[in-house]
Amino acid sequence: MNRQQFENRKAAGWRELEEKVRRLEKKGETAEAVRVPSLFRQICRDLSLAQYRMYGTRISDRLNSLSMRSYRLIHSSRGGIGEGAIRFICATFPAAVRREWRLLVVSSLLFWLPFILLWWSATREIAWVQATLGAETMMALEESYGKGASEVIEQRQEPGANFLMFGHYIQNNVGIDFKLFAGGILFGMGTIFFQMFNGIYIGAMFGYVSYAGDPEKLLSFAAGHSSFELLGMIVVGMAGLKIGFSMLSPGHLSRTQALTKAGREALPLLIGGASMTALAAVVEGFWSAQPVGYTTKYLVGIFFWVAHLLYFVVVGRRSDGS
Amino acid sequence: MAKVERRLDTLETVELAEGIEIHLRVAGPFLRFYAYVLDLIILVASALVLFFGVMLLGVGVGGNLAMGIFLLLWFLLVWFAPVFFETSRKGATPGKMALGLRVVDEAGGTVAFGPAMIRNFVRLGEMICPFLPLAAFFNPRFQRLGDLAAGTFVVYSRPRVEPVDAGPPTLETIPVNLSLTREERAAIISFRHRSGNWSEARRAELADYLSTLTGHAGPKGVSKLIGMASWLEDRA
Repeated sequence: MNRQQFENRKAAGWRELEEKVRRLEKKGETAEAVRVPSLFRQICRDLSLAQYRMYGTRISDRLNSLSMRSYRLIHSSRGGIGEGAIRFICATFPAAVRREWRLLVVSSLLFWLPFILLWWSATREIAWVQATLGAETMMALEESYGKGASEVIEQRQEPGANFLMFGHYIQNNVGIDFKLFAGGILFGMGTIFFQMFNGIYIGAMFGYVSYAGDPEKLLSFAAGHSSFELLGMIVVGMAGLKIGFSMLSPGHLSRTQALTKAGREALPLLIGGASMTALAAVVEGFWSAQPVGYTTKYLVGIFFWVAHLLYFVVVGRRSDGS
Repeated sequence: MAKVERRLDTLETVELAEGIEIHLRVAGPFLRFYAYVLDLIILVASALVLFFGVMLLGVGVGGNLAMGIFLLLWFLLVWFAPVFFETSRKGATPGKMALGLRVVDEAGGTVAFGPAMIRNFVRLGEMICPFLPLAAFFNPRFQRLGDLAAGTFVVYSRPRVEPVDAGPPTLETIPVNLSLTREERAAIISFRHRSGNWSEARRAELADYLSTLTGHAGPKGVSKLIGMASWLEDRA
């Protein structure tokens, strides 16, 4: 069979599929779709034949384009988001954090060591803290958590103030998480830098308020969302480190393959950690400044910390093997 | 994948579960840079529209609420608009769409949400170090680091169907006494099919690459090569 005969015999089927694919791409109507799989298989056969017999670019380009478009239609995912989310929360995410426990240790130390160091330094020599924060931040801290400052509750009396702060926390804190992750591509250095910077800065804030202000105000405010926010940040840091270390030490893979593999494994950490920070913004926006007693706030904070530890240690153990 | 081959063109072969191979035309760094610049312009424009829209809204619902909405939408716009566009049916941000590009995964299909997040977030890290995006030049699929981490690459959304103009009919068929690979045979045949679109000088220039095969340079080589293509095609 030469090219012309081949084309004459097959062209009707090609035209039918082209027409159907065009309509499906436009509207996504399912009534059109009934014959698409069988036509697609036919096209696959024709394409292999055309390529093998070298019928030339005109035919194989046409079939190539057509089979690619049908392939995308047939394999486009319509997976249930709900089911995926439940599996992610109940198994994939905590299991991923457990599997990468070494990175968890590194990422935690990168944050907690500078944090504790700076907080502690405020009791010995305040200059380090002052140099870190700068005058403007210190003034803002005194305004919110100073000895004579009004309660946080009163600062949020204006209508919409809670929502404004929620928007700010999402934009700022989750954005910081994403930058933390992006820094991983610089052989991990960006992640290490941002994580230590976060530790230094937050430690300095706590140090300064203990030194010059009323630490109870800050601690009771931060208690509720602290576990979500700090653990979320540490987990996203793990994702960044995963990317960075895969480039530094690819093991038996090529650097390219190692990076692809690390990206796949870092994904649950990125999504899970960023979701925790987003939850922190909800708590921080709508709970942390509620007019309730300090004791209640501390208890809620402790409750969330314990819940997080239990979640990461216990949940999804049975599916670890898979 | 690890095997590095010298290739005749930028076609990327992807094998589907259906047992066929399809060819995707990989997009080069220059075009992708153009698309990126377009996307930046669109981002700035939509940020301005967003800002003034929310300012108007603020008159109605109060400044704090409006500012909160602005911050949320700004966050979504900056981080998730590209992810949304790349996971959509078109598989491309507006800039890529305008230039006829799309992002695909290893199997040539539309990219999923997670990988789209990775490739767009990692870009920020690549921007800090201006030599990092240059890594795309050292990869046969022009993948930047974000593409590698996400397992994606950028292709032309519709493989351009080459205009076919076979030129003057062949006067003779010339047998080829060399064993050629399939790809080489296909290249010679497509030379014949496309030669009608080129000037005489361009035809000669291309045919000169094969002067050792045809034994002639210039116009004579061209007619020899076309003769060989005709012979190869008849036997295929």
